[in-house]
Amino acid sequence: MNKYNPPRMNPSSLRSRFATRFLRSLSKINAKKPTASSSSPTEIFRRYRRIKVAADKSMAYSVRSRRTWSRAMLWKLRTRPCCRRSVKTSTIVRKTRHEKQNKNTTTTTGEDGVVFGVEADELRELVPGGEAMDLYNLLDETAHYIKCLTTQVQVMKKIADFYSP
Amino acid sequence: MLHRLESLESCNYNGMDVAVLERQAARLKWQQQNYVVQNNNLVELCASSMPQFQGLIGSNIGSGQMVQLKRPEVFLGSGDFQEFVNFPVAGAEFGDSEKLDLVPPEAAADYCISRTSSCQMTALNTSVMKEEREDMVLEKMESTTGSGRESFNKRKPEAVADHKGKNKRIKGEGESEVKTKCSTEISRNSSKENSKASEVQKLDYIHVRARRGQATDSHSLAERARREKISMKMKCLQDLVPGCNKITGKAGMLDEIINYVQSLQRQVEFLSMKIAALNSSVQFNVENLPMKEFPAYVANFPAAAKLPAMAGLPYFQLNPLQKESVNCMLNESILPAQTATEGIASASVSISEQSLSSSSMTQLQPFSTWNMDPQGSSSNLTVIFHSSSIVRVEYIRIWHLIRYTPDTDTS
Repeated sequence: MNKYNPPRMNPSSLRSRFATRFLRSLSKINAKKPTASSSSPTEIFRRYRRIKVAADKSMAYSVRSRRTWSRAMLWKLRTRPCCRRSVKTSTIVRKTRHEKQNKNTTTTTGEDGVVFGVEADELRELVPGGEAMDLYNLLDETAHYIKCLTTQVQVMKKIADFYSP
Repeated sequence: MLHRLESLESCNYNGMDVAVLERQAARLKWQQQNYVVQNNNLVELCASSMPQFQGLIGSNIGSGQMVQLKRPEVFLGSGDFQEFVNFPVAGAEFGDSEKLDLVPPEAAADYCISRTSSCQMTALNTSVMKEEREDMVLEKMESTTGSGRESFNKRKPEAVADHKGKNKRIKGEGESEVKTKCSTEISRNSSKENSKASEVQKLDYIHVRARRGQATDSHSLAERARREKISMKMKCLQDLVPGCNKITGKAGMLDEIINYVQSLQRQVEFLSMKIAALNSSVQFNVENLPMKEFPAYVANFPAAAKLPAMAGLPYFQLNPLQKESVNCMLNESILPAQTATEGIASASVSISEQSLSSSSMTQLQPFSTWNMDPQGSSSNLTVIFHSSSIVRVEYIRIWHLIRYTPDTDTS
């Protein structure tokens, strides 16, 4: 018998890890949505937020704590101010915002600081956890973050294509 | 040069001036030997144990004489170093010299050569490498001495200036910085200044050399090393970010990187919005569908997508027992060319991105009007879902949730 062996994907690659987690969370989100108001804009917006958070969380969990940006993102997701959460969480968030303001004063020093000042700050805002890193580590994290983002976009594109009629 | 390093090692205490004069004499010596080989060996050996190192020293002495490794001036060969007679002898390092196994020159040369081949050096002529070694030795000297660091720093400018004079003579032109990735255990243990030192075996550190007319204090050298690392990182990023080949200059590159990261993040947001909108049209009325229709459906997926007859196959339920048959069937779908799908997807994504940037819910209309070829997507999903059983279960769940009738309602 002729057996067709499709190209096997590495089960421990970033892509498969992310796809697994994201699909699992998607199914959870779909499971708990009410069928009644499913097409109203607010409901869609709420689901969009949940799906986005699920995507970010899945990606950060796929990377675990190996990278600064994943750690920062996981921390951010855990302590994000949910409206219905207790006050305790929000105070923690306020504290960290204060800490972040202190950290923002560190900029790239030396000759490079003159060149990279503005752009480095912008990059720091984009990459999670980039506020407290020097330029070299920031670039390192940016490279890995770009790689993970492209994986995320590819998988989500395929899922969206799959869903689309 | 071996003797130079040797003497450097011996300088752990004082006798800083030795190094300068040593270097000068050593430079003369260098021109008579195969420096590349020796250099590689030398610096490498600095990091390694003394006996090895001194073995090579002994073997590399030009005259081939056996060396009594007790006084530095012995290694310098010529009689230039009479002034070093009063130089205090090193303590432990020289004491160890007694235990040397002197490697025969041929083996040493082979050893050197093998190390050379394993080096990752950017292309240079040997004279440049000589200077490299000298420089590295300079910094090595700095790194190996703990107490005498300050005095080393003071002497360094004059040494390097000396260096440069000789460099001009030897090379005839200003030479650009040589970047080599080197590491030694010593440099690893030391501060940032030492990261510029020595030989190539692993790829951790970047060697920086002071150019003619540039500041030579340790801070600027460290700064330069840092900048070299950063520029290397920027080159890696250039490969990651598409369309960055033409852009030179760090500021433009950074702008491009920032734009790319922003666009990727927006794409993620947009795709999650799309998934949310598409999911909202899924209904959960699931009917039983015979399994044999399923393979036919998937096989005809591209055709089915374009046909409104898809409405005839809206829902189906997959028996867990039939998972395996589903998977086999899925595996059979061959990956078609994805480029068309991706191209359409990216184009529509970009268009809808702009429309969504206003974050208006009424922009959900474009979702229904897209007729993207699902042929590629289904097989791509097959690849995604093929490997792990967990994903297969999820895939089946998704099949539960999917509604195949095209949604043409406009909000």
